[in-house]
Amino acid sequence: MAELSNFGIVWPKNINEVPKEVFVRKDLFEVEQERIFRGPEWHPVAHVGELPNPGDFKTFPLGTVPLLITHGQDGAYRVFYNACSHRSNQLETATFGNKTEFECPYHRWLFNPEGELIGCPNSKEFSPGFKREDYPLAQPRMEMFCGLIFVTMRAETPPLDEWLGEVKSTFRQAMGGDGRLKLLGYQKVSYKTNWKGYNDNDGYHAPLLHTAFTLLNWQGGQGRQYSDLVRGHLGFEADLSPVPKSDMIKDHSLVEYKGDPANMGSRLIQLFPTMVITRHLNIFNIRFAIARGAEDTEVHYAYFCHEDDDEEMIKHRVRQASNLLGPCGMISMEDASIFHRIHIGSGTPGNAIFQKGVKSFDTLPDDIKQNDETGNLARWEYYRKVMGFERAQS
Amino acid sequence: MSGVSIEVIAQIDALQADYVHALDHRDFQGWVDTFDTAPDTAYFCISAENADSNLPIALMYDDTRERIEDRVTFIEKIWSGTYQDYRTRHFIQRTRCKKIADNTYAVESNFSIIYTPESGRSDVQVAGVYQDEVVINGSGARFKSKKAVYDTTVLPRYIVYPF
Repeated sequence: MAELSNFGIVWPKNINEVPKEVFVRKDLFEVEQERIFRGPEWHPVAHVGELPNPGDFKTFPLGTVPLLITHGQDGAYRVFYNACSHRSNQLETATFGNKTEFECPYHRWLFNPEGELIGCPNSKEFSPGFKREDYPLAQPRMEMFCGLIFVTMRAETPPLDEWLGEVKSTFRQAMGGDGRLKLLGYQKVSYKTNWKGYNDNDGYHAPLLHTAFTLLNWQGGQGRQYSDLVRGHLGFEADLSPVPKSDMIKDHSLVEYKGDPANMGSRLIQLFPTMVITRHLNIFNIRFAIARGAEDTEVHYAYFCHEDDDEEMIKHRVRQASNLLGPCGMISMEDASIFHRIHIGSGTPGNAIFQKGVKSFDTLPDDIKQNDETGNLARWEYYRKVMGFERAQS
Repeated sequence: MSGVSIEVIAQIDALQADYVHALDHRDFQGWVDTFDTAPDTAYFCISAENADSNLPIALMYDDTRERIEDRVTFIEKIWSGTYQDYRTRHFIQRTRCKKIADNTYAVESNFSIIYTPESGRSDVQVAGVYQDEVVINGSGARFKSKKAVYDTTVLPRYIVYPF
């Protein structure tokens, strides 16, 4: 008789099985927000390439917590809670822009991009000893890697470098080697799926799904997939053979790689809980995902060029990125449809069962082949532990 | 609309009607046929958020006739059998029409698309404005370029069909 654990969920004994109800149970969402999104994890919220000039800002939520990310007049990047330090009215409503000051319309408190309170009318009538310098905008912890800004709400989260673990080298390559990226624009979409369903299927790349690869006679080259065994961060590195010209599509530049052949391979990393970053052909793509609700996952596909690109390369990147990836991309529209269908299918009883590459039912795999499904298992094991679900004994 | 003859307006409206009819009947060759045959004929579908900030990334970036034709290949061959299908109904309201060169007109129209997934309810998929350049010659009106700038900051689902 299996032991009942948290939420009455019995986690299967075999390491390659996940109970489908974790994709659809609405009561898990708040606990996940507390233990994961507000928990001891780092969450990417912006890349500095989105905020190139002093005064540039972006708003983005960490789960249900609104944030304001700024590029200060002093050149520094900062992350604040997007709420006035007085009564917590949402400070900024725009998704991004440029401002020299942020004014809360409620009582006209005024902040600079460095987060200092620089004005508050009628402060003589405020509480005894009120001082403006005691009321800056509050901040979560923040660290950067290759220009990508991460935040955490917990003091005990390990330093970012340690938290990233093994995937740093692939990460760096996915960000052009040095992270000197410049924003080209966004594609934003809401998927009717649980954030774990999105995460389970966006990084993992089932070649059988992609008709485009077959139709274009596009063979992937040699590659490797590896997983950090603590949190299940995942890295993919694959050589890419040039796509043969075919009659299937008329504009071959859509799948053509231009530039240094040494950087031709594709790189992808997936970070717990929801981040996917990829360099594919000439595309730099960071996918900022927001768990809005148990069946609502919003993804902001941000595309970049490198700061050293010439006009011709930028144009090529724009033409390739716009039509190849994202919610209407030639390759990835199909991924998007799977997110929805996985969610609907997970309303059925039983377990989702991983197969390809599984060699043991009780040990996490340390040798993962390029197209194996086993790369997801370490992440599921970490999730299970964080949520306190116990494995069935038999 | 001043200075544009009623005959020209009638031809532009007929073109818009052909565009809507083709898309809402999933007649993609008919959709392609609403565009001019010149190689640099263009179709763009871009968020207002990107367009307002001069960010060039689009949802559909078909800056040549070849890429417009490739889009039909995506829909009919490459994506076939992978997506949950949906019906569309386009609603268009012409708001501006100006002559910009011989036989060439800049036309602006509001649009909204109601979509109905298989076994689903009908909802607004997207709202926005078409910024079109229309050429009129012996064979009627065609889009020289068509830009669908959509207001919907976050799209409600993945997109298969052009706006």
